[in-house]
Amino acid sequence: MNDLQVALHQVGYEQKSYWRNPMAAVFTFMFPVVFLLVVGTSAGSSKIPGSTLHYNQYLVVAMLVFGLIAACYTNLGVTLCIRRDQGVLKRMRGTPIATVSYFGGIIGSILVNVVLLTVLVVAIGMVGYDLHFPFHPFAAVVTLLVGVVTFCALGLAVTVIISNGEAAPAVINGIYFPVVFISGVFYPISDSSVLSKIANYFPVRHMVKALVGAFEPGPGSGLQGRDLLVMLLWAAGGLVFAVRRFRWEPRHR
Amino acid sequence: MGSGDDIVISVEGLRKSYGGFEAVRGVDFEVKRGHVLALLGPNGAGKTTTVEILEGYRKRDAGSVCVLGRDPSHRDKELRSRVGIVLQECAVDQYLTVTEAITQRAGLYRTPRPVGEVVSLVGLGAKGDARIKTLSGGQQRRLDLGLALVGDPELIFLDEPTTGFDPSARRESWDLVRGLCAEGRTVVLTTHYMDEAQALADQVTVIAAGKVVASGTPDTLGGRDQGETTVRFLLPDGVGVGDLPLPAGLHPEVRCGAVEVCLPDATDLLHDLTGWALARGQALEGLTVKRPSLEDVYLALTGGDP
Repeated sequence: MNDLQVALHQVGYEQKSYWRNPMAAVFTFMFPVVFLLVVGTSAGSSKIPGSTLHYNQYLVVAMLVFGLIAACYTNLGVTLCIRRDQGVLKRMRGTPIATVSYFGGIIGSILVNVVLLTVLVVAIGMVGYDLHFPFHPFAAVVTLLVGVVTFCALGLAVTVIISNGEAAPAVINGIYFPVVFISGVFYPISDSSVLSKIANYFPVRHMVKALVGAFEPGPGSGLQGRDLLVMLLWAAGGLVFAVRRFRWEPRHR
Repeated sequence: MGSGDDIVISVEGLRKSYGGFEAVRGVDFEVKRGHVLALLGPNGAGKTTTVEILEGYRKRDAGSVCVLGRDPSHRDKELRSRVGIVLQECAVDQYLTVTEAITQRAGLYRTPRPVGEVVSLVGLGAKGDARIKTLSGGQQRRLDLGLALVGDPELIFLDEPTTGFDPSARRESWDLVRGLCAEGRTVVLTTHYMDEAQALADQVTVIAAGKVVASGTPDTLGGRDQGETTVRFLLPDGVGVGDLPLPAGLHPEVRCGAVEVCLPDATDLLHDLTGWALARGQALEGLTVKRPSLEDVYLALTGGDP
């Protein structure tokens, strides 16, 4: 088997393992769905200033971003830290599997989850909140893919600063939630506000804006070049940091 | 090729430091094909570092290391596909079943052994569909072994493979290891159980403070075959130590009613003693004849810490 076949072989086992661990799917699937059903219904359909989207439609897009980040950054970071602590990563290093195949399997499985999440959340938006199918489908797909790359790279990078698996969820969510909060994932934030100026340094707000841009009708491709660029810079930084400093073994024996 | 073909592992002048601490200070040994090498040594003696260099997890600072004709520090796929490693922790995805985990692993090798065969080989036939997190500690260790064997390795590293096993599970594992060697596979075993080394090893190498302090077969290690024999028995009622037919120059110790005599060769003494007891129509209760055990030799070599 070549490296790609081995990676595809791994995807199946990663999926099995993912769905058998009830905790993993909570943030990725349950939280966005429950949030949409509860908050989306009560949020009403007032227009957002400067956008064609209604408030609850905006929340659908934002929750897709939330779920995607949970599926990539949070899930990858926590999973790798736990596996590193348990020695799973060390053991993998002792088999003939190529590093790209091992990570390819994990990230392939994440990609499957992101596709499922996208279908689920967009369907809820279209059925429940009159969300239109993305006006720029190509831009939506590109944005989601750039999102997967970015937040997987950051999930890899965050493992470097975490010393043990038990601390992983706390550290990872401790970084994630404040950024999500100021990035307009739970409610729209005006571009002129102080919060948005801080949030602009981080990739989450750019992901929200890029995806909203793909849903809104308008001329051109719908690709939000500047937002995508900021995300890709974070991706590159995260990847370089991760490749240089990644640890396969638990810190303490 | 020559006899060099039969050497699976050769280590010469191996050195490794962590920061300022030199964990391995010039270790040499060789392992022949089909043999079991038991590496013994106190915790922190450098045996894990040595094994991890052989496994390709660590890079050496100096010396030469050859594993199956290759340098493990290059971490090439070819070598890793011919080696099976059992680490101390059971480290597999807890949410998979036994069969799934072994099938997943089998998929990484060109010529894996049949999964069902491996599952029953390690005695998990009844647990094939059980989630790994439901297995007992001993069962997880057996799964570890199964994972290491499914790639059909020529060389197997076993790091304390029977820790936490009940006595019968240990015997089963020993039989399994003996079977692996009978098939021509080579095993490097680290263990703290001296009886395990005694039962399995063709060659024992003791490492202490980063150096090899003794090397040999389990029966000859550290001059064990030349060590003194201890004869011990309970002093019969109404008999003083002076009444015993002991050769002159021996100084028996009497503790809690038991006599203990140490001497290089006990053949004559046993003949005299048992003849004397038979003539008196009395049994020599609690009679034992003991050579220094592997553990005694090991403790003497390493200064007491097993």
